[in-house]
Amino acid sequence: MEKAKISAYQLFVLIVLFEIGSALLVPLAIEAKQDAWLAILLGMTGGFFIFFMYHRLYLYYPDCLPTTYVQKIIGKFCGRILAFLYMIYFLYLAARVLRDFGEVLAVIAYPVTPITLNHAFLVLVVIYTVRKGIEVLARTGELFFVLIYLLAISGFILLLVSGLIDLNNLKPMLEEGLSPVIKVAFTQSLFFPFGEAVVFAMILPYLNNPKKAKIIGLSALGLSGINLAISMTVNIGVLGVSQVLRTQFPLLSTIQMIQLAEFLERLDIFFMLAVIVLGFFKISLFFYAAVIGTADLFHIKKPSQLAFPIGFVLLFLSIIIASNIMEHFREGLQIVPVYLHLPFQIILPLLLLIIAFFKNRKKRGQGKPST
Amino acid sequence: MSRRLFLLFFIMISAVLLSGCWSQRELTNLAIVSALGIDKNEKGEYVGTFQIVNPGYVAGGLQGGAGGQSAPVTVRKSTGDNMMEMSRRLSTHLSRKQYFAHTNLLVIGEDLAKEEGILTILDVLDRDPEFRTTASVVIAQNGTAEDVLKALSPIDKIPANYVLKTMKYTEERWGENIDVALHEVITDLISPGKEPVITGFRFTGDGEQAEKLEKLQNTTPEALLQADGLAIIKDGKLTGWLDGETAKGAVWVLDKIQNTAIIVNWKEKKAAIAYEVIRQQTNVSAHIKNNTPSISIHIRAEGDIGEVTAPVDLTDEQTLLKIEKKVEQEIKKQVDNSIRHVQKEKADIFGFGEAVHRSDPAAWKKWKHEWNDLYFPELQVNMTVDAFVRRSGLRNKSYLSEVENNH
Repeated sequence: MEKAKISAYQLFVLIVLFEIGSALLVPLAIEAKQDAWLAILLGMTGGFFIFFMYHRLYLYYPDCLPTTYVQKIIGKFCGRILAFLYMIYFLYLAARVLRDFGEVLAVIAYPVTPITLNHAFLVLVVIYTVRKGIEVLARTGELFFVLIYLLAISGFILLLVSGLIDLNNLKPMLEEGLSPVIKVAFTQSLFFPFGEAVVFAMILPYLNNPKKAKIIGLSALGLSGINLAISMTVNIGVLGVSQVLRTQFPLLSTIQMIQLAEFLERLDIFFMLAVIVLGFFKISLFFYAAVIGTADLFHIKKPSQLAFPIGFVLLFLSIIIASNIMEHFREGLQIVPVYLHLPFQIILPLLLLIIAFFKNRKKRGQGKPST
Repeated sequence: MSRRLFLLFFIMISAVLLSGCWSQRELTNLAIVSALGIDKNEKGEYVGTFQIVNPGYVAGGLQGGAGGQSAPVTVRKSTGDNMMEMSRRLSTHLSRKQYFAHTNLLVIGEDLAKEEGILTILDVLDRDPEFRTTASVVIAQNGTAEDVLKALSPIDKIPANYVLKTMKYTEERWGENIDVALHEVITDLISPGKEPVITGFRFTGDGEQAEKLEKLQNTTPEALLQADGLAIIKDGKLTGWLDGETAKGAVWVLDKIQNTAIIVNWKEKKAAIAYEVIRQQTNVSAHIKNNTPSISIHIRAEGDIGEVTAPVDLTDEQTLLKIEKKVEQEIKKQVDNSIRHVQKEKADIFGFGEAVHRSDPAAWKKWKHEWNDLYFPELQVNMTVDAFVRRSGLRNKSYLSEVENNH
């Protein structure tokens, strides 16, 4: 664990950028059709409970990284194996986001450039940032948070002014009843993006004011959930459900619809800026967690030394995880949530929490008479 | 030292790679396609017509000098069994790479739209990241897309712009045609509760003359493009046309009327008053009673008196109420005719099915498969129109009233 502290506001900014991250680009929860926004908000509520879980674990061990406290909870041997699995999980997710990002660029802007090269340039920036530590990443976040919101608000105003949003597209509400919405919420949007906040278990110990962790986490999840729901509502309002279902990147199509006053058009750059900035933060946070955790696990004094080697693993992993974009998205929607997100985001932390609860109760029970 | 060298090397490499020479496209190597036309020939191949901007001759103006010597666009043809093949084959006789990001117009030949339909040709345009789905779609009435794209135009040098602006302003000021974007057409093609309508463009005059630059030197061009009618597309195929007032009635229902003129009679005099619509709002809603759907349309129009050709006392409120009534009847007549006409065509271009879908999704599930053929033609449509006269221009009573008094 590096010697660094981040403020409550910085943590808030990081969580929001991270959660909006790649979820903004893809047709999130579109299986719920015009009720996607509802599925996102439901997923967010579920996300609150998941975050409570990570937060309780953090309260038991406020000064050390999860890689250390799992060893305290379930013993050295098992704890190390579990911690190692988590590092692989984070690295895999970093690679997935990197691939998302690379595919977006390949489809929209660089059809001929090898995707490896797109990835390599971003990975270089990510490695550089992670070498500098969490404080630098957090400060960068503060800077870009403003930019992202400026983009989002101006884009939203342009869409409103050009009268593209047709709320009739959101009707009829709950066409197939509530069950498909709940199904989508708790098989997809709960895990992606809200459950991915598990990575902040690795960041929470850096918070300079531990009391604020809960309120910051919940408000950041809430803000990002509402933003994502608004974004999907706008997408569906502008494009209609059928078109959102067909597109890989609905937000881009939405932005392309803006044609105002004969010159405010072709604002694809809004989307590209958002993709690159948000992608950068999401990859950096996953990657940072993987690096710092590995360093902690293997007692490497300077985590920054690991940034380059793991960075290259990240780069190659991002290329080999899927052979084409369809495979990549299919894995992301169908396989990863069930086989990776469910155990790593919910089941394992829950087990850890239960064990930690009993252990700490015993400890406290023993501690009491002596004081 | 070696670290510095490495840094220097790194910066130089970055400068080369990051400045984007990969897949670079120089302006001088691009053929900017302003409009794309699609037809079908006897062999069953697609014929693509590409209207390519001739950059040197567009800028013209007073200083340019070059304008006027050569046509502002070049039109090229190419054939293929699908759109991609056709588009790529064009490169055998084009010295530049086609660039579709500025293609704002797609013209579809009437024969192609009638016989094969438009379903198969739109996928590539929807999929391609360069082509914009905000491009407008028109159908070449009584002719091929090639005819439409070949014709040169006065005032606006690039013919594609001429078509687009004509369509835009006629929608805005007259309301018999509407500017429909490609993505709207695709959305309507998919939806079981709404069929697309596409504006038709007709070529009038001498075809031979149209592509000659000299024709533009006359004050009255011998050949001209003209927006005419709305094409009804059913199951992807063109099945009929709406013209004149029936087209306008359809535009009313679609809530696309911006400004238009409603002409009403006064006493014995025909076309005595012109009512100029300034703004309007049309609401369509569906009701289901006894397991049968019905539609109610509510139109609320506001406008001014634009012209009177009979002595009408516009200062009298009772007169204004009467005028409003007449305007309401006229709008109602137009819309009624249009709906009846379209019901005979059995193609729900108004989106009544969508309205039913919104108000009763469960019932819609049973009806949607036979909506166009069974339910839509029999649909009961109730309509209320509220028209309001707000102002009457710079004058109140017309001078005609005084002329009348003097006699």
